[in-house]
Amino acid sequence: MSVRSTAFLLFKRLVAACLLLAVISLAVFSLVYLSPGSAEQILAGGKGSIPPEQLQRLRAEHHLDEPLLTQYWIWVKDAVTLDFGQSIQTALPVTDELGARLRVSLFLGGYAFVLTTVAGVLLGLFAALRRNSILDRAIVASTLVGLSAPAFATALLLLYAFAILVPVFPAFGQGTDFLDTLWHLTLPALALATSSTAFLVKHTRTAMLGVLDQDHVVFARARGLSITTVLFRYVGRNALIPITTISALTFIQFVVGAVLVEVAFSLQGIGSLLVQAVAAKDVPMVQGVVMLVAVIVIAANLVADLFSMAVDPRVRLGGRAA
Amino acid sequence: MNGVSERTASGRHGTANRSDVTAGLCFAFLAVICALALGPSMAPYDAMGANLTIGLGPPTESHWLGTDALGRDILSRVIVGARAALLGPLIVTLVSMVFGNALGLIAGCRGGWVDSVVMRWVDLMLALPGLLVAVVVIGALGGGYWVAVAVLGVLLVPFDARVIRGAALEQIPRPYVEAARTLGVPWWRLTLFHVWPNVSAVTVANSFLAFAMALVSLSGLSFLGFGADAGQPDWGLMIAENRTNLFENPASVVAPGCLLILTATCVNLLGDWVYQRLSERGLSR
Amino acid sequence: MNEVESVDEPALEIRRLRIEAAGRGTATTIVSSLDLSLAAGETVGIVGESGSGKSMTARAVVGLLPPSVFVSRGEIRYGGRSLLELTERQWRRIRGSELGFVMQDPFTMLNPVRKCGRVIEESLPDAGRGTSRRQRRAESIERLAEVGITDEAVADRYPFQLSGGMRQRVAIAAAIASEPQVLIADEPSTALDVTTQRDILLLLKKLQAARGMGLVLITHDLRVAFAMCDRVYVLYAGHLVEAAAAAELESTPMHPYTHGLLISEPPVDRRVAELTGIPGAVPVPDDVAGRCAFEPRCAWSTPTCRNGTPPLTEVAPRHLSACTRVREIHGEMAHPRSRMRLAEPLPPARPPSGGPLVRGRDVRKVFDGRRDQAPALAGVSFEIGYGESVGLVGESGSGKTTLARSLVGLERITSGELVVDGVAVSAGSRLDARDRRRLSHTVQMVFQDPYSSLNPMRTIGSALKEVVRLHDPSATDPSARVAELLESVGLPAELAQRKPVILSGGQRQRVAIARALAVRPKLLVFDEPLSALDMSAQAQVLNLLTRLHRDRGIGYLFITHDLAMVRQIVDRVYVLYRGDIVESGPVDEVLARPADQYTKKLIESIPRPTGTWLT
Repeated sequence: MSVRSTAFLLFKRLVAACLLLAVISLAVFSLVYLSPGSAEQILAGGKGSIPPEQLQRLRAEHHLDEPLLTQYWIWVKDAVTLDFGQSIQTALPVTDELGARLRVSLFLGGYAFVLTTVAGVLLGLFAALRRNSILDRAIVASTLVGLSAPAFATALLLLYAFAILVPVFPAFGQGTDFLDTLWHLTLPALALATSSTAFLVKHTRTAMLGVLDQDHVVFARARGLSITTVLFRYVGRNALIPITTISALTFIQFVVGAVLVEVAFSLQGIGSLLVQAVAAKDVPMVQGVVMLVAVIVIAANLVADLFSMAVDPRVRLGGRAA
Repeated sequence: MNGVSERTASGRHGTANRSDVTAGLCFAFLAVICALALGPSMAPYDAMGANLTIGLGPPTESHWLGTDALGRDILSRVIVGARAALLGPLIVTLVSMVFGNALGLIAGCRGGWVDSVVMRWVDLMLALPGLLVAVVVIGALGGGYWVAVAVLGVLLVPFDARVIRGAALEQIPRPYVEAARTLGVPWWRLTLFHVWPNVSAVTVANSFLAFAMALVSLSGLSFLGFGADAGQPDWGLMIAENRTNLFENPASVVAPGCLLILTATCVNLLGDWVYQRLSERGLSR
Repeated sequence: MNEVESVDEPALEIRRLRIEAAGRGTATTIVSSLDLSLAAGETVGIVGESGSGKSMTARAVVGLLPPSVFVSRGEIRYGGRSLLELTERQWRRIRGSELGFVMQDPFTMLNPVRKCGRVIEESLPDAGRGTSRRQRRAESIERLAEVGITDEAVADRYPFQLSGGMRQRVAIAAAIASEPQVLIADEPSTALDVTTQRDILLLLKKLQAARGMGLVLITHDLRVAFAMCDRVYVLYAGHLVEAAAAAELESTPMHPYTHGLLISEPPVDRRVAELTGIPGAVPVPDDVAGRCAFEPRCAWSTPTCRNGTPPLTEVAPRHLSACTRVREIHGEMAHPRSRMRLAEPLPPARPPSGGPLVRGRDVRKVFDGRRDQAPALAGVSFEIGYGESVGLVGESGSGKTTLARSLVGLERITSGELVVDGVAVSAGSRLDARDRRRLSHTVQMVFQDPYSSLNPMRTIGSALKEVVRLHDPSATDPSARVAELLESVGLPAELAQRKPVILSGGQRQRVAIARALAVRPKLLVFDEPLSALDMSAQAQVLNLLTRLHRDRGIGYLFITHDLAMVRQIVDRVYVLYRGDIVESGPVDEVLARPADQYTKKLIESIPRPTGTWLT
């Protein structure tokens, strides 16, 4: 029964994810029609009148003569094969440009994720275990600042501090080989990780404190279990449940933060690509980027769901009582 | 064990007083920012007045924070920028609180299709990176400060609605609500006079949170070029415009950056404090 | 420490223990001074109402006070060592293997993400190190069998898959897995169903006898303490007021508080015209510092009682009391008790006149999303006459609350017929506004939890006024009506200006009753109205209910799991078991000659102070 109910839960989540993706794709497709100006104008780059032969070509290329739903269907079919058409700015396929820019964004995201998880969980743990100590108060205070600081402001303050005042990291560039990239992307990753780390610290601390005060932890200690056992089997395991959910949220923060940080550090990643594309009204490019981001975010949510099923038998086995 | 608990005990007592002091400081800082934004202009120079001869000057006696590439006084721009930093987020907060409270309360207290619609919308918004949605939508609609304010307001409504709904749902199964129901109190009275007063602490605290979120998001949009109109004094935009001048005049970036972080932090801190105070008052047993 | 100890040195000894909690600015007292000793293999009870500090005492003994609560004075000694000076490492060798600890709530005491077998394995001596996985599992299954769980599959279940009683058994097995010398049990049966309560107490008694273990039983129920314990300590508002052998305490209490507790308990075997409650409510320890804690509520108080905290003195051999006037009032205290014992049972209630006010035919209720489970109500038929007082008895999950909520329109029944004073509250049709209005004029409900029964943000007066206006828009002077309502439930009219925060549980429940009375209903539904109240407040509210029923002729539907309580207030009783009515009839008859197996079990599970109850 448990296996079946787990499978059913998984199936439900998958269906929900697909539905979400469908809604987003519809919205993204409609961008062409939502923007001021005719579809042809937008697809030509949004400027002035268009020569008739180009108009003809555009109409044919984008199937503008078909009914709207057919157009959407054709667009989706292409999108599934990773074909988002040509960029208006560069006239190159959108997918190529995305591929070229993905490396630095993924590197930045991965780097920041590692920083966030390690620092966030560790600091949250320390703070919870040393509740009300000076360390705890310092951590809580910096958490408050970190939570409120927008990534681009953090980015430029870091740049000023560590590239100009104490020049230990480079101010520009994104590196060639792995170590060089690591060196170049340290400041951007720090800027990106700041607010999500603060977020994670806050929730790890709260989750840990919540568990520490619970009867079953008191009962475990009353049976003479060692602090480490209690910490790992009881506190850690139970605190992991909310922390997992939070991690999915930090991922979404990353996507937003990456845009700001890439612009702040002039990195040629997906985020800065989106800003450039939106500014240049490069609709096919915007569509491509948004779909890519949507897939990443939805996948992250799914992974978080799977993870919480793995750590919480009540989710897995459908228990009601807490 | 005894010693440990005693220490934590006294420590906790200390924090309580400290939080009042912190809240006081935050309030003072925000009061100054408000005075700058709303009061008569205290800027020493015209915030828009370009003077290319003194472009990119470091801090001097006449220009305390130096000048930007066009020779505009950074201090003046930072002071005038407070207005854009407060006004937009204030409107965003008002919009999202009014609609968020109404929708959240109706969804929580009435349930039914309103609840389903609001929750689906919230799920969608939570699953999406809000600022990116704002960028794309503003890009499609064709930019401007007030467009950004409107878009952010709409995007924040579901967040507030979700929080208020959650707080209302906590009250609904309580016997005092059920008693009112069996006594025949009409649902709108129930919502307004019984449930709402009990979620008001959440409402107030959440408006602080929403304000900080709006401030940070709006300045982020300005930084990306989708918020404040080019040339206007706005902290986010200033950071974007001056980031290439970090070597020549760091103050042109550091000053608006620090102000932004400080303001957002103070608003958040004050919100936490207000929430604690309100939930202690009369709500406890 | 250098004192000459008696030959029989106590296994556990507490001296002058003071526990405080640090709050905003000041520290509040939880326990002001407590002395206790426990000989090896002995059972002592700590009895007290909520707020007496008994649970914190238990946690202080195992060194696990919550953060911000601390021992500010006194000593706890075990086996010649002072426990308060132990380091965390030393504590680990005491906890579990010397002192076991069982808590109240089996639903929160076990780690939700850990299988029951593993919980026991990790509690074995040295966590079962040096043994194979299979040995440990075999051991844990043996331990489960010891607490009466013979189904081996339980070891592979998660706590949320077990019932409350099963969980408590698992917890007890884990608590004693390392063979402690002393077990501290903090209300081990309170959170359980009545019929399970007795099983758990029996189990504890059996285990204790088999292992020769000392037992500190913390409870609010004097009857349970008398049945289980050799000696009993009575705690009141953080003060130890009396300590004596259980039998002696029951026969000759030497403190007015203990005496008050004993007489406020409703008798099981008969109905009395009025119970003798203790007036007022339990104070906060700091409010009664420096004087006799019970003085404000004591019938025998004199100004001398306010001069300093009365010391605990030996008033009879091995019988300690903190009442300075005990010698003068001893004879008087015996009087009301004997009067109560001799009180004539009340004659059987008058039969209801006229037709039924409420008629239920084959009422079924199935909750959505619980298709795998039994229905909450599996087709029950019942009647309540005009002015009749009817009891609905059953355990949690029996469907009694669902039935009550359906009556007042808070739940809609799935099928069947339910007619309340001519209004059909049946399945399918939504009530129209007029019917709903008529229903709310006819039936009102009083809920279990007095603390969330009242809107914390509104004054009591405005809450009552709202109802008065709603039901009688033409009322000329709602304020006068509010005063009258408050007076009718025994509260001063000035309370109308105040918010509920300042009220005690009993007072809140009175306000809730006043609110229900405001619509002049024909039937009042009470959903366990007394179970959240302290024993001393229960008697007062019960008396109020009896009086209202007698004077106003309002019908009652009284829902409870407490048969002694139900006997005092209802004429007729329905026994509900898993959504079915298994027995019904006049209350005297059902209690005296139960026909159904389940009813018999329910009656057996009423705690009785005599030693024969737990055999």
